[in-house]
Amino acid sequence: MDLFPLWLSLRVALSATALTLVVGIPVALLLARARFAGRGLLEAVVVLPLVLPPTVLGYYLLVVIGSRGPLGRALAAVGLELAFTWWAAVLAASIGSVALLIKSAQAGFETVDRQLEQAARTLGRSEWSVFWSVTLPLAWRAVLAGAVLAFCRALGEFGITLMVAGNIPGRTQTLPLAIYDRVQAAQMNEANALALIAVGIVVVLVFGLSRVARLRY
Amino acid sequence: MRRRTLLALAATWLALWAGDAAAAERSVTVFAAADLAFAFRELAPRFEGATGARLTLVFGSTGNLAQQIRHGGPADVFFAADESFVDRLVVEGALIRETRTLYAQGRVVLATARGAGPRLQALDELRGPRVRHIAIANPAHAPYGRAAEEVLRRRGLWEALRPKLVYGENVRHALQFLQTGAADAGILARSVADAPEIEWAPVDPALHAPLDQVAAVVRRSPRPGLGLAFIQFVTGAAGRPVLRRYGFRMPGEL
Repeated sequence: MDLFPLWLSLRVALSATALTLVVGIPVALLLARARFAGRGLLEAVVVLPLVLPPTVLGYYLLVVIGSRGPLGRALAAVGLELAFTWWAAVLAASIGSVALLIKSAQAGFETVDRQLEQAARTLGRSEWSVFWSVTLPLAWRAVLAGAVLAFCRALGEFGITLMVAGNIPGRTQTLPLAIYDRVQAAQMNEANALALIAVGIVVVLVFGLSRVARLRY
Repeated sequence: MRRRTLLALAATWLALWAGDAAAAERSVTVFAAADLAFAFRELAPRFEGATGARLTLVFGSTGNLAQQIRHGGPADVFFAADESFVDRLVVEGALIRETRTLYAQGRVVLATARGAGPRLQALDELRGPRVRHIAIANPAHAPYGRAAEEVLRRRGLWEALRPKLVYGENVRHALQFLQTGAADAGILARSVADAPEIEWAPVDPALHAPLDQVAAVVRRSPRPGLGLAFIQFVTGAAGRPVLRRYGFRMPGEL
């Protein structure tokens, strides 16, 4: 059995989780701490990917990053291509999962006692240092829980990926796409085996992490 | 401890990255309508043997694949289930007009799930109480769904049967409704009707407009010659009998 979809999916899900952490933590912090005009709008935009049907999201993303889209053309001008590469799958998985990370991390940051942060500031710590030595250590369980949810969602991403990365065997066919393809081709044994692998990964990950970190979802 | 975890994650990521296979040089990527899956999986190794080229087969709904080609999808050649999608892409300049080739004419059949009792012989029997759900492809965008709707309308059955209809994303999805027993009957493509879980009876082809299935080479393809070679292979002496066996007929063939 061809295990390429498994390796690709692990790579995509790991990359997407890293990307959602980098993009999501500042947004979560902003939503938890700052009061500004348009905050409600940002909250709505964050959860939008959970509400919109993935294929709709995928279609609009394709219009933007495809060969005719503004971003696609800009990238092509410098010799880069995003649509229908595995990076497109990473982007798709990140968009699909970033809301889970942001909402979980935001909830974590909101429970951090602000007097502790204030104390660190009066001791001369910079904002950067306060975040790394006080805020994040106190909220890391929520951030990690969000990251696990985001990883699981990224591993299972289907609709957006199908549109922007295509379903190209050996290049962009991720685990969920491969399972769908096998079902369509009536190769149920392979489909079942791949589905079992996906379930196995998630069970081991969630169970293992909950043992290690005593996470609560 | 935290640094070690981060390092382990980065190493995992790199290891997965290193396993990436380089794309083959003489490789043809074929975007093909879902109903061609069985026939093309059989034809692929023969084409690879005859030409030394590697074939990558991507199956999907014709509408989806057309959207992807429009936005730069890496296809070399496109086999659509319906000519309208190809013609629109030809006008837009995404496909090469001169390579447009008719490879089959689609027909629909009346299918019965094996678990749902004796085989239905005529469309009127769909009215009967033993048929609770009738699967067809979505008429809004799937060519075979459109044909199914046309057949039912011409027979004056459309309004009466509407409450029983269930729509699949494409014709293979509609087939799955029958295979799983979720639907008792369906109006499906002849080309997917040889599944073991169903039986079928012919439908008068005069009841719907012919479904011309057309292929063409993609203009952005860096190797248009190989794409055209695959079209010729499929419609030529090697491919014809295989397509026929899977229920794809040329105009005039029975």
